[in-house]
Amino acid sequence: MSHKVEILLVEDGVEDAELTIRALRRYKLANNIHVAEDGADALDFLFCRGAHEGRRFSHPPKLVLLDLKLPKINGMEVLRSIRADERTKAIPVVVLTSSKEERDLVTGYNLGVSAYVQKPVEFEQFSEAIRQIGMFWMLINQALPPGAFAASNAYGD
Amino acid sequence: MTSSSKAIAAFPLLILTCIGTLSYWSEVRNDQDRGWVTHTLHVVEKLQTLRIDITQCETGQRGYMLTGKDRYLELYQAGVTQVRQDLRELPDLTADNPNEREAITRLDPLIASRLAELNDGIWVRKESGLLAGAEAVTRANNGEKWMGQIASQISEMRDTEAALLTSRLETAAASTRKIKIVIVGGNALAILILLAKYVVIRREIDKRNLAERSLRLSNERLERRTAELSETNIELESFAYSVAHDLRAPLRHIAGYSGVLVQDYASRLDEEGLRCLGKVSDCAQKMGRLVDDLLSLSKIGRQELKFQNTPLDVLLEQAIDDVAPEWAGRKLEWQIGDLFKVECDPGLVQQVFVNLLSNAVKYTRTREHAVIQVGQTRQNGERVVFVHDNGVGFEMQYAGKLFGVFQRLHKARDFEGTGVGLATVQRIIRKHGGRIWAEAELDRGATFFFTLGAPEKNTSRAGKFPIPEGQMHVTQS
Repeated sequence: MSHKVEILLVEDGVEDAELTIRALRRYKLANNIHVAEDGADALDFLFCRGAHEGRRFSHPPKLVLLDLKLPKINGMEVLRSIRADERTKAIPVVVLTSSKEERDLVTGYNLGVSAYVQKPVEFEQFSEAIRQIGMFWMLINQALPPGAFAASNAYGD
Repeated sequence: MTSSSKAIAAFPLLILTCIGTLSYWSEVRNDQDRGWVTHTLHVVEKLQTLRIDITQCETGQRGYMLTGKDRYLELYQAGVTQVRQDLRELPDLTADNPNEREAITRLDPLIASRLAELNDGIWVRKESGLLAGAEAVTRANNGEKWMGQIASQISEMRDTEAALLTSRLETAAASTRKIKIVIVGGNALAILILLAKYVVIRREIDKRNLAERSLRLSNERLERRTAELSETNIELESFAYSVAHDLRAPLRHIAGYSGVLVQDYASRLDEEGLRCLGKVSDCAQKMGRLVDDLLSLSKIGRQELKFQNTPLDVLLEQAIDDVAPEWAGRKLEWQIGDLFKVECDPGLVQQVFVNLLSNAVKYTRTREHAVIQVGQTRQNGERVVFVHDNGVGFEMQYAGKLFGVFQRLHKARDFEGTGVGLATVQRIIRKHGGRIWAEAELDRGATFFFTLGAPEKNTSRAGKFPIPEGQMHVTQS
């Protein structure tokens, strides 16, 4: 792969994906975005398998933007799989959804979501939310180096 | 129990009481009747005794006359004493019978004459000896005559008494028969009535059982129906939720793409084009609010109340903070009275306060000196919270539409709003088992009243708005 993917956007809605990408680009936050249109593709991408066999765990995305209502495998299942595996559990996952259901919030935080954002209807507010998310996770947040968990566990042994 | 069945219940008691009284009375009568029988026997015996005593007198006298011995004189004397005693007692014994008394008055002189004759004989014998006595007795020769009369008089009296005895024995027997009839007949009647009563009670029990069964059946039907209804209700609520939820996505897209147009293509649009684009995003936003309000309304329907003993003052304070941005830059006077503690869902009741205060803030917008009062009052023993404002109010004829979904009493041009706020408030109040109503006058303000849950037991003073000045504290902007 020539470019290092920085954001994995898991979103089945074409319009939502386009508007999100537009907002990110507007603030020059994403040169490399991969859009997964269902939960299965997202997991294949993260676990470097299927159509994404060529990818390596040493280059995880800096951020996963995750919708909840997804075809095949839903967002919560994707989140569960990410958090269950040592190779992916440190990846920041921000749920970006139209649902504000308390049940979803509880499940999300139980599974260790990094942040939970409801998409605002108003475009200015939406753009602003995307900008802040991007700024924080791409620029301010200190990511864990790939393989650090595995290494520290090895020392522990 | 019906009044007729009550009468039936009382009847056997009455009958038994009658039987008891009759039996007692008959027994007393019977006692008297037996008393008369004994009395008659006594009279007969006394008459017999009189006859014997007289005979004793005669025997004594005759013995003396013949022998001159004192022994016979003593026998004679004792007889006389007993005869006199008998004659004294007889009138008392026959007091009940005038005929017998008359007979005694006839008997009296006869006996007196006979005794006098006997006495004469004894006197002659004493003075002049055996021969003179015999001569005197022979000369008088009345003994047989007197004695015959006396005997016939006594036997007449005895016959009378015997007749009396027969009739009195018959009376006594008759009263005994009567007692038997009263006791047997009365008891039979009481048993019959009790049987009838048993049948009536049995029938009533059957009827009641039948009614209970049909009540139980209809209750079960009702419960099933309620369960079906609440299921349908839940389905409807979740339908409304998913509709509102799914509406949100295309809305976001409309707002999003019009936003993109404004951001990136504004330079290529003329003024009218930009105005129309602004309208598109305004409308999308408005619909977004509508959908959000609908979502929260349907959420209230679906969610379980989390009851907690809550001081309403605290909820009100938070609500006032929540609506603060809505009156920023305006002059507004808050008059807050003390509120009570109540079992309620604090989150939802706070939403009630927020919606009501937000309305009050909104509809006093045109007032130079806006005043909002919140406090408690009492109506028919219920504690009532009120929120009063001196805003534009509304006409009471439209009060019925106040709490309907999408119902608005003001033009959107004058006062914005989705028409869901008061519907939400009403739904929350109703879920608590409370009531909400409003009083208003056009251009003179509105007051909303609500209760939360069951009324208190003690119905005390029914105070009305406004609240006493002493209970209020005032915050000025």
